[in-house]
Amino acid sequence: MKKHILSSLLLCLFIVGFTLNVNAQAHAKKKADEATEAWRYEVEVAGTGTQGTYLIKVWSYSKRPAVAIEQAKKNAVHAIIFKGFPGKTGIAGKPPLTTNVNIEEEKKDFFTDFFSEGGKYMKFVTLTTDGAVAAEDRMRVGKEYKIGVLVSVNVALLRKDLEDAGILKSLNAGF
Amino acid sequence: MKIMLLSLMVLGFTTSGFSQAKKPTIMVVPSDVWCNQNGYMKEFDNQGTKEKVPDYKRAFQENADLIAMISKINGLMADRGFPLKNMESVMKTLASESAEDAMLTSKSGGGGVVESPIDKLRKTAKADIIMQLTFEVLKTGPKKSIRFTLQGIDAYTDKEVATAGGTGNPSFSADPAVLLEEAVIDKIDNFNAGLQRHFDDLFANGREIIVRVKKFEKWNGDLEKEYGGEELGTIIENWMKANTVKGRFSTSESTENMLLFEQVRIPLYDASGNAIDARGFTRNLQKFLTAAPYSIVNKLMTKGLGQAVIVLGDK
Repeated sequence: MKKHILSSLLLCLFIVGFTLNVNAQAHAKKKADEATEAWRYEVEVAGTGTQGTYLIKVWSYSKRPAVAIEQAKKNAVHAIIFKGFPGKTGIAGKPPLTTNVNIEEEKKDFFTDFFSEGGKYMKFVTLTTDGAVAAEDRMRVGKEYKIGVLVSVNVALLRKDLEDAGILKSLNAGF
Repeated sequence: MKIMLLSLMVLGFTTSGFSQAKKPTIMVVPSDVWCNQNGYMKEFDNQGTKEKVPDYKRAFQENADLIAMISKINGLMADRGFPLKNMESVMKTLASESAEDAMLTSKSGGGGVVESPIDKLRKTAKADIIMQLTFEVLKTGPKKSIRFTLQGIDAYTDKEVATAGGTGNPSFSADPAVLLEEAVIDKIDNFNAGLQRHFDDLFANGREIIVRVKKFEKWNGDLEKEYGGEELGTIIENWMKANTVKGRFSTSESTENMLLFEQVRIPLYDASGNAIDARGFTRNLQKFLTAAPYSIVNKLMTKGLGQAVIVLGDK
């Protein structure tokens, strides 16, 4: 009987622990999404990508390293559409794909879906170093981690998709 | 019912036709600096003064790097829905056209094709926007890097509407051809961002053109001749004010013999919704001057989408 009670208690503790962990993970994910919307990430050019791709390093923040690493992919696509990134010696920076500063608000429904969990943004992330983050790219800033992940984004495909969806104007629009 | 459907179809077709502005042509041209640095220049005697001009034909025949660079740029621009004119092909077409014109005779009288001196002068490879390309392989010891500049120049206003350039990362091992390709890939998006800004401005404020008004020597009138108390030059300026987008133009030069209007912003479509260019716009000025009370016979000549000249006094 005693043994039975102990095993039930352990099971309960395990379930509670697991639920708390899942909740904390979800909370961290939500926080990371809010950080993305608030432009709280940093982008630097990492190299000249192959034709049609950009190779960038994205620094994301979260209390959980796994969340920051995963969020880097979303932040990379977000930065390329809305923010652009500066260049460094030998490699040119790039302006954002959109020139309309209000596009995020004007097409809110589209972008909410686009950047949602399992959203279309992942289609354009071609390669990352999420499995092998270098030691110098993992930093502790206060209570959070700041993690840098190299991400390669297929910009040609991303631009084409956004043009087809009517979000971006193509170069030959109007002619 | 059938008639109604047919009318709707015709209306739809016409409206879609009207909604497109005239598309500017773009062509990549090696810059004079590149031609000079690589020895692709030829000398000619311009009335006693020796002048050097680029020898594009020889450059295209001898320099594989140039072909690779232009081909890469053409390919990337085509991917963006903006295929470019290929300068080498344009030059070949012009050469074969000249040969055919020289051989062409009419069936009945045996007369050849008429070509005025001005036609001959204008028979060159041209485009509305020139992408001027300069590149150089820099060497520092064993390291090689590429200095690359791409300038988008509006052929009529001479304004640089887009630009991209810089020096790439030095490399010990990479082949210069690979570095050149990398330079194009790295810079082309910035160039296209500039081009997009230029097109956005064009749709918002109208196409920018240059209009010249001149007079033939034998015409007894001039631009100071008065009609109803107003000088002809002022009458033409007033017409420009009324017909340009937001009255935007500047009179850069004004004498009794000529007028030069620069930064003339013309609408992309006329009142009936048809796409217009410098020719379409200036034809209205031509009609205005031909009609009473001015009744001035005049000749209209245009250069591409953006430059027009009206010569008063004759055809």
